[in-house]
Amino acid sequence: MSTAYPLPTNLSTTTVTNTASLLRIVALGLISAAAIASRLFAVINFESIIHEFDPWFNYRATRVLASQGFYEFWNWFDPTAWYPLGRVVGGTVYPGLMATSGVIYNFLHAFHLPVDIRNICVLLAPGFSALTAWATYMFTKEMKDESAGLLAAAFIGIVPGYISRSVAGSYDNEAIAIFLLMFTFYCWIKALKTGSALFGTLAAVFYFYMVAAWGGYAFITNMIPVHALTLMLMGRFSSRLYVAYCSWYAIGTLSSMQVPFVGFQPVRTSEHMGALGVFGLLQIVAFAQLARSHLSSKQFQNLLTVSVVAMGVVGTFGFIALTYMGWIAPWTGRFYSLWDTGYAKKYIPIIASVSEHQPTAWPSFFMDLQLLIFLFPAGVILCFRELRDEHVFVIIYSVVASYFAGVMVRLMLTLTPVVCVSSAVAFSSLIDTYLDPTQPEGEEESEADSSNGTNTAATPSKKEKAKKPAASTSALNDIVTAATSQSSSKSKSKGIWGLDTRLIVIVNAIGMLSFFVFHCTWVTANAYSSPSVVLASTNPDGSQHIIDDFREAYYWLRQNTPQDAVVMSWWDYGYQIAGMADRPTLVDNNTWNNSKSHIATVGKAMSSSEEVAYPILRKHDVDYVLVIFGGLLGYSGDDINKFLWMVRIAQGVWPDEIQEPNYFTPQGEYRVDDRASSAMKNSLMYKMSYYRFAELFGGNNAMDRVRQQTMPKVGPTLDYLDEAFTSENWIVRIYQVRKEDLLGRDLKSANAFAQGKKKKKSKPVSRRKAIPV
Amino acid sequence: MKWSAFLPLFLLPAAFAATKDKDAVREQLIDLAAKGNGLIKLDSKTFDLLTLPSRDWSASIQFTALDRRRRCAPCKEFDPSWNAVAKAWSTAPKEHRDTHFFGTLDFDEGQTVFQKLGLASAPLVYVYPAAEGPRQLPNGKTAPSKYDFSNGFEAEPLANHLSSHTPIPIPYRAPIDWARWATFISGILSLVLTLRFISPILQSRWTWAAITVLTSLTMTGGFMFTRIRGTPYTGPDGSWIAGGYQNQYGQEVQVVALIYGTLSFAFLMLTVIVPYQSSASRQRMQVYLWSAVIMLIYSVLVTIFRLKNRGYPFKLLL
Amino acid sequence: MSSSNSSPSAQSTSPQSPILSLWKAYTQNTSDRLKFIDTFLVFLMASGVIQFLYCVLVTNFPFNAFLAGFASTVGQFVLTASLRSQVNPENRSEFKEVSPERAFADFAIGSIVLHFFVFNFLG
Repeated sequence: MSTAYPLPTNLSTTTVTNTASLLRIVALGLISAAAIASRLFAVINFESIIHEFDPWFNYRATRVLASQGFYEFWNWFDPTAWYPLGRVVGGTVYPGLMATSGVIYNFLHAFHLPVDIRNICVLLAPGFSALTAWATYMFTKEMKDESAGLLAAAFIGIVPGYISRSVAGSYDNEAIAIFLLMFTFYCWIKALKTGSALFGTLAAVFYFYMVAAWGGYAFITNMIPVHALTLMLMGRFSSRLYVAYCSWYAIGTLSSMQVPFVGFQPVRTSEHMGALGVFGLLQIVAFAQLARSHLSSKQFQNLLTVSVVAMGVVGTFGFIALTYMGWIAPWTGRFYSLWDTGYAKKYIPIIASVSEHQPTAWPSFFMDLQLLIFLFPAGVILCFRELRDEHVFVIIYSVVASYFAGVMVRLMLTLTPVVCVSSAVAFSSLIDTYLDPTQPEGEEESEADSSNGTNTAATPSKKEKAKKPAASTSALNDIVTAATSQSSSKSKSKGIWGLDTRLIVIVNAIGMLSFFVFHCTWVTANAYSSPSVVLASTNPDGSQHIIDDFREAYYWLRQNTPQDAVVMSWWDYGYQIAGMADRPTLVDNNTWNNSKSHIATVGKAMSSSEEVAYPILRKHDVDYVLVIFGGLLGYSGDDINKFLWMVRIAQGVWPDEIQEPNYFTPQGEYRVDDRASSAMKNSLMYKMSYYRFAELFGGNNAMDRVRQQTMPKVGPTLDYLDEAFTSENWIVRIYQVRKEDLLGRDLKSANAFAQGKKKKKSKPVSRRKAIPV
Repeated sequence: MKWSAFLPLFLLPAAFAATKDKDAVREQLIDLAAKGNGLIKLDSKTFDLLTLPSRDWSASIQFTALDRRRRCAPCKEFDPSWNAVAKAWSTAPKEHRDTHFFGTLDFDEGQTVFQKLGLASAPLVYVYPAAEGPRQLPNGKTAPSKYDFSNGFEAEPLANHLSSHTPIPIPYRAPIDWARWATFISGILSLVLTLRFISPILQSRWTWAAITVLTSLTMTGGFMFTRIRGTPYTGPDGSWIAGGYQNQYGQEVQVVALIYGTLSFAFLMLTVIVPYQSSASRQRMQVYLWSAVIMLIYSVLVTIFRLKNRGYPFKLLL
Repeated sequence: MSSSNSSPSAQSTSPQSPILSLWKAYTQNTSDRLKFIDTFLVFLMASGVIQFLYCVLVTNFPFNAFLAGFASTVGQFVLTASLRSQVNPENRSEFKEVSPERAFADFAIGSIVLHFFVFNFLG
């Protein structure tokens, strides 16, 4: 056998395997380091701070857990959220994330390492990303081999699709959930391959952890049954499948019911019924198999088949009947909106309003996955070539996840692992082929037609490393072996001639990989490392300018208002106000409970005129109203841009009073300048955003830099609210609601009274504070 | 015109009915509604009757322009839904039915009304609440409220919305879509019948591989985005690529999926097919060919991406 | 498992001979160890059926207690059934990596974890 390049011949097999495993450990260590390091951009560029919105609540809850212990946390009733309702936190959270940080915190303090809980929270996501890389390595190893595993680990370590949810400071459920997802899947595959109840139990335990950590656990709850069902339909039922599935389901379901927020859902809702159905089906099929093994009468076997099918049908109808009787809850809106994509906009606008629930355009896919996105189908095809049980899993996963990722940007996160696994399989197959030093036998060999070529790989099992030809030569490293093992059993010659061909493919591959690394670094540094609590802009000389309006305003609230002052804002900012300003809020980001009307109330107050809004504000004891305004700075995520959602949500509850078309110009444009509709101009949100905005520009025309529209010279006036605070760049504006008794007369009468009052009152307002520019 | 012959007959009673006897007006309206299958065909006179300031009934009125010259496609689309809901209301019990009326005012029948109300577009639905009597709104509002078409022109959401203004919910039931069921059932039947013949295809893994790969390619090409947002196939000026990072046209799905597919295919060729070639020169040629294809197409892809994301700093060959 | 119970009863309309011959084949070909496991399985099934009937006919009031009890029997049933298929000599080829001893260890660990959750859930 000729080789394309010389190989050392004096190496023993043990040396090679030992070196290979050492290299693997070193590589995994480096991958973990890279995964952690690339997530630290946010800390280096800004500071060690909690990001965005939801993490602020998680952080606040974790602080309670760390300072007061687990039982206090479990029974914590938070009176400041959803004023005046309050929130039973213990029963309405997935506690896995907080419990994890709490355990780490107590563990470190037991060793007298006085680490601040904030730093644990900030660095939790990067730490778990290293574990995710390891779990992905283990998972991919089961699909192909160690070299593919290492590639997959490297991919998931730095791929932006996962970094987007796990940078330092992004202290959210997804931070630990992806690790749990991958590890549960790994345990499931391992259990299926070996038929060991131990791995089934492990899968169930990690499933429990996942249920405790993230609402996305339903993905596992349905993925594994679909896999099992597909295997049965393919005629691949085996006792291993029975052992793996039953041990996972029996323990996993029971354990998932321990989480209070999940409760009895696993036996009462449709999302979980698929798993139960497959469980029942497996029992029937297993019993039929057992009976069949004892008896081979043809007639009896037919009867058995018929009865299995009949019972399956009866079971299905049973589920449908139970659903109609109301014992099993139908699909919840969130899941239903994944199938009927118009559903959410019609019936649950709160869910549709969240930016991460929007559908994904292709640039997002490319941005988040880059070259993996086109390697991914190649990997799927390679899985089809072998099509062992575990490959079926990857195939199903890839179809389901790519659909979900297309429907919702947020679910890109579930697509990312399978893309990494699949493209690692494709990429390592390519490298295997072109690193393999063996050259084909000779040119006179009968030509291999392609159709034959694609099918040959299905038969030989790759596990036996012993099968590889000429152990001494090809023992260069483990990476090479996988591809060569195939050719040995076949007479067909397979391989690459010459060195230049190898070189060009390998150089090309390395070039693409390094481009991928540059891409990931750029995306991470530029797109995904902003805390969104602190903004950054670039000065003309290239230096960084920090815009810290949010914290400025929240600390103003904390310092200058009474402890029990109720703050109303759009729900996006609820958690931040609670976390940073420590004040009660009307609504916050916890939108899954049924306080829809509460959010709609805020939406109505914001979108109606002052006269209509004022009684609402008074009725809810609102002392301060907070709006986000980006018109001065060009910050596009402000409330005027979110305003239409407030209108829509309010319209869902009061369709007669609030109507979306009224907020557009007759031409159907969304405008804020002279031509804005009267409903728009009179709305509380508009007035609060642009109050005294024109004065800022002296005599010149005021310009809204987000909407690129010229504002009218005379801005709106406010009768029922006082401007209390405006931050440096005008991003946060806080207004105080006037009290009735302050006026000394009956305010309830009418507008005329308000007009008269305004003349008296307007002087102190304008004199009271100088607007910072 | 049919109406002009008919009008003088009841114009006289209508004139003093408006001032004196609203019960008589109601009787008239009931008659008209019964004649029109639950729907009153309005003109400017009957419109005034229906929206009498002293009415103790409520009314929902559709303003439309069905005449072909008006070129109002949405009007034609909405009209059947409106008629269906009005018809459903006519099956309600009499004591409730006669307290709420459905009317349709065509632009060509009542231009003055359109001018008076300042209506510039059609179709529109206004609901006039009762101004007097037991069905007057608690807040005393008598001004009409507008129905918002954000839920589309279907009858179902319309009936749901109007039900909040009628004394009892409108007994509207969506007609069974027989055609759809028939297609569904015949589809299943034909599938079962052909199952014998196509089962080799269904059992082939490569059929499923093709389905899987095509699905994931269309999905990652942003197909669901175009579906959900209803973006057009190409831009209004014929451009096939939409500006902006969070936007795309239908054609981009095809182009991007094709690019991904080509790249994927080139990788597969290099991995799976090329090593089985029997002659060294042919193999070498193929290696160079597919490597060049990967480089070129990848560069094209990056270039297209730079069009979408202006700030992207990297580029390949192009 | 109630479903696997009903499978033979669905056959009762057919001639009795298949059931009888099945029974005969079972008693002849099964080792005593497996029969012992099967006895336990039958016991668990009976226990599960009784609990289910109690829940349907009498009350499901402490629903978590019912679920805990029922899940413990079902879970124990499937774990035992897994053990049975793992130690069954006929399935030797399928479980290359699971020796009978390993199978029993797996079974024990699975049962411990299961009953830990059952105990926690009893409330």
